[in-house]
Amino acid sequence: MASFVLRRLGVSLLVLLGASFLVYQLVAISGDPLQEYRESNRPNKEQLMQARINLLNLDVPAPVRYFMWLGGALKCVIPGKCDLGKTLQGQEVTDALSAAIPSTLQLVASATILAIVIGITIGIVTALRQYSALDYSVTFMTFLFFSLPVFWVAVLLKQFGAIRFNDFLADPTVSVGVALGIGIVAGLIWALLLGGTMRRRLVVFATATVVTAGIIWYLGWSQWFSYPGLGPAVIAVTGAGIAMGATALLAGLRNRKALYSAFIMVALAVVMELVLVPQLDDAGFWLIVLLGLAAIGAGLLVGWLMGGYDRGQSMKIAALTSFLVAGLVLLDRFMQSWPEYFKATRGRPIATIGSETPGLDGDLWITGIDKYAHLLLPTMALILISLASYTRYSRASMLEVMGQDYVRTARAKGLPERTVVVRHAFRNALIPIATIVAFDIGGLLGGAVITENVFSFKGMGQLFIQGLSHQDPNPVMGVFLVVGITAVTFNLIADLTYSALDPRVRVKA
Amino acid sequence: MKIRRSIAGVAFVASAALILTACSNAPEDSDETTAPTAEPTEAATGGTLTVAETNQFFSFNSNTSNGNVDINAKVTQYPTRAWFNYVDGSSFAAGNPGVAKDESFGTYEVVSEDPLTVKYTINEGVVWSDGEPVDEDDLLLSWAVDSGHYNSTDGSVSYFDYAGDTGTLGLTDFPEFGDDGRSMTVTYSSPAADWEYALAAEVPAHVVAKGAGLADGQALIDLFTKLADTAPTATAADPDLQKVADFWNTGFDSTILPSDPSLYLSSGPYIISDVVENQSVTLVPNEKYAGDLTAKLDSIVMRTIPDATAAVQALQNGEVDVISPQSSADTLTALDALSGVTVHKGDQLAYDHVDLTFNNGGPFDPATYGGDEAKALKVRQAFLKVIPRQAILDAIIIPQKADASILNSQLFVPAQAAYADSVANNGSDQFPGEPDIEGAKALLAEAGVPNPTVRFLYNVNNPNRVNAYTLIAAQATAAGFKVDDQGDAEWGSRLSDGSYDAVVFGWINSGVGVSGVPQIFGSTGGGNYNGFANAQVDELANTLVKTLDPDEQVNLQKQIDPLLFADAYGLPLFQSVGVDAVSDRVGGIADYNPSQSGVWWNVWDWTVNDG
Repeated sequence: MASFVLRRLGVSLLVLLGASFLVYQLVAISGDPLQEYRESNRPNKEQLMQARINLLNLDVPAPVRYFMWLGGALKCVIPGKCDLGKTLQGQEVTDALSAAIPSTLQLVASATILAIVIGITIGIVTALRQYSALDYSVTFMTFLFFSLPVFWVAVLLKQFGAIRFNDFLADPTVSVGVALGIGIVAGLIWALLLGGTMRRRLVVFATATVVTAGIIWYLGWSQWFSYPGLGPAVIAVTGAGIAMGATALLAGLRNRKALYSAFIMVALAVVMELVLVPQLDDAGFWLIVLLGLAAIGAGLLVGWLMGGYDRGQSMKIAALTSFLVAGLVLLDRFMQSWPEYFKATRGRPIATIGSETPGLDGDLWITGIDKYAHLLLPTMALILISLASYTRYSRASMLEVMGQDYVRTARAKGLPERTVVVRHAFRNALIPIATIVAFDIGGLLGGAVITENVFSFKGMGQLFIQGLSHQDPNPVMGVFLVVGITAVTFNLIADLTYSALDPRVRVKA
Repeated sequence: MKIRRSIAGVAFVASAALILTACSNAPEDSDETTAPTAEPTEAATGGTLTVAETNQFFSFNSNTSNGNVDINAKVTQYPTRAWFNYVDGSSFAAGNPGVAKDESFGTYEVVSEDPLTVKYTINEGVVWSDGEPVDEDDLLLSWAVDSGHYNSTDGSVSYFDYAGDTGTLGLTDFPEFGDDGRSMTVTYSSPAADWEYALAAEVPAHVVAKGAGLADGQALIDLFTKLADTAPTATAADPDLQKVADFWNTGFDSTILPSDPSLYLSSGPYIISDVVENQSVTLVPNEKYAGDLTAKLDSIVMRTIPDATAAVQALQNGEVDVISPQSSADTLTALDALSGVTVHKGDQLAYDHVDLTFNNGGPFDPATYGGDEAKALKVRQAFLKVIPRQAILDAIIIPQKADASILNSQLFVPAQAAYADSVANNGSDQFPGEPDIEGAKALLAEAGVPNPTVRFLYNVNNPNRVNAYTLIAAQATAAGFKVDDQGDAEWGSRLSDGSYDAVVFGWINSGVGVSGVPQIFGSTGGGNYNGFANAQVDELANTLVKTLDPDEQVNLQKQIDPLLFADAYGLPLFQSVGVDAVSDRVGGIADYNPSQSGVWWNVWDWTVNDG
């Protein structure tokens, strides 16, 4: 094992060295660093060119320059001695990187996690309903999104998700026609999702259309879009839904202890909504995190107190329900600050660029909404284009597992379908996906060059592309180094995880 | 099945509950009047204005060659540096590029024309935002930097890494100072045409002094005075002055707001209050400012948006109020579709042109024909005659600006009053916009070189240049030229190496002043890539940079212009289109300003109106 890891690391180091040499040469031949001066008719341009030549050592051939850079980069092994050179703007590359990495993570991390969760869920569901209308429509949609260029998706999202939506918010009333249109779309989705006989589908479609249209119309009529909120009633009802869903999925509704502990957590959350939330106006970030942990802890405690033959299951379900319902309560608190934020942005809350409104000061709730309003569109764009691969991988993997002998055996011995799917099939279907997820997390730091550009995020992708377009090798190499090292590391982690998850795979020294 | 039924049940109950309990967080007394509207009422003054720019801010000193990027100058120079004068952004559209004076800061006057002597006096009571007066140490620092006086003449010692031209103030010797401590007199050893633009606003001298380990501004004055005579001939750098120069060169570079507030002091109407790395810069009124150009806004936010489409959409979404995107047909179409926005189009200072090479043994070089000047001239004229300038304009510029026209002068632009005059007499009419194939053939036949090969260099990565090349090559081939396609991404490094006979690229003019003329057309100019040498042009250009009278300057340029066409130097093609777009809630931005400061040149006039 140890020798395997060491050997892999050794090889990776050589790969990194070779690749960095290549990248450095490619950047060097990608253009002319003096171009901006050549077209200028400033009287002192020769002096300026000379300054640039001295700064970038342009009088030294590129292969030799690489080793000058490498000399500084190798010092990174010693903490605090890192010398990755300076950007053309005179900033240390290490500083530029340490500013770019958090910005990139902020943008890409939530999008990747959401894409993984949603993608796997869709993949599993479509696998269970293979060759159904649902399967075909989802496949069609994910491939459609997959093949759209992100800059175009971004422009459309901005036009409809931000500009038009903000226009709508200026006078947020919904006409009956629009409400009905949205209702019909929702009805179609529900009919597809629930499936069944034709009659069933029609009933589902009609019900969902009427209910959705009614809700939308009511929300517009009651000024909900100007003063959004959930209120205890919606939290209670949605919470009950979450409690039943979680129990049904993880334990089966027949496990009454688990169901009741989940319901207790929902009741507690509603009490908290009425008692605790009004006290939270000056809350800080860590207090919220603490409350989230407390919610999980309370769930575990209630589950444990409920006792029964399978305490663990009750604890798990109660904790999950508690955490999700606490999320609803948090959402409601954020919504209470919405009108204030709306005013602060002069009635244009959803943003199309950047990661925050400059100069906006406000409490946690206002800045939280601000972050959300800025991250919404880029996150959506990234999720849409990366959904397809997760969906397809998890669908294929799930299908394969469902065809295995042990699934048939599980069914043959009379296990409920829920247990077969969740316990026997789902877990095993996740093994190959773990590899892909590890790769993608490794690629997180690389940023999303085009998305960052379109949404004016100043992350790793921007650092890379700016460096490249100005023929500034140091930031490009800095980005390469970070991305290369994480990629290599996570490849290794993926291999090791695989062997840990699948007992049939063993790492041989 | 049970699960599905329960889901349906939950959905139903949820919708019922929603209707029963008004779940919105609307205030109890909510009615139409208290609903938030998109237009909060604000007074005509005050408010926040957000400007989108393409580059990222990174230095509080925009005068170093490193920091001299448009965005640093926009954010620091106009809002935070009061000065004797500033480039008047409206003067370009008016056809008379020049500077406007700010006499609430100080005055300058020509004391004598021969020798040229200029006296600068700062008004009493002008202070930096830390309370330190703006006075002679600041004047001296400006002079020391802008004159390059302390660099040794043999080039072995160099201190300030100044981005501007030291040629003009380099003609002066150490200035004299008035007894009031706020005035400085410089004397030129020979007349200098660009004297009015030579002395530029600088970072605070007392901060530079402290940063270099000196006690105060007076110590800096003493240091400069001490070294005034010896520095030009010094062979080793003075350690104290080196410290001053090092601090000036790099001490003000920062992508974030420095912890030391003295690094971003202001003497102008606004002061920087916040910098979000690579994303935004916020300016607020400078309370210590007492001049005439007072701030009218509560804050100005500069946001960096590199992508033109993103900038247009941000403007549409109301996130920014002013944008100056790279002009393109797509961007302009998108801008024209917006309502509530005013679009200003204008001509940039950049213009595209075709140059022929005179000294590489190619078809345009007299040496090829044994020194036969007339023969080479005919070949050059023949080539210029086939350049389809109107077709190039139609393809590249007309889609952006319908009323654009061909540029017919190497020295003037159409907005200038002298342009029409010069064009009438400069001989540009021998090369009309439409290609003259027959004329070119006749000239080639006269010269006795029916099929010369022309190596044509252009930037393959710039679609406009590729377009221009394609159009030119088609016509030239028809006239008998063999056009050798030398399109190259590395075209810039090939300029002046003689490996091509014709080239199309753009000049970027520095705005005001005339010192660029000998730079390009003088036989030894740094921008003379094509080996053009004309003794008459050299003489006129040298006189030009020593001429103080603006009318006489125009007159001299009018004499140079025809010489360039007579020699078939090359042809100007068109000016690039520049654009900015301003939301209707903004007041004070009226014209497109092609100079480096863009919309920022009258930042003190900006207002917003949300009423």
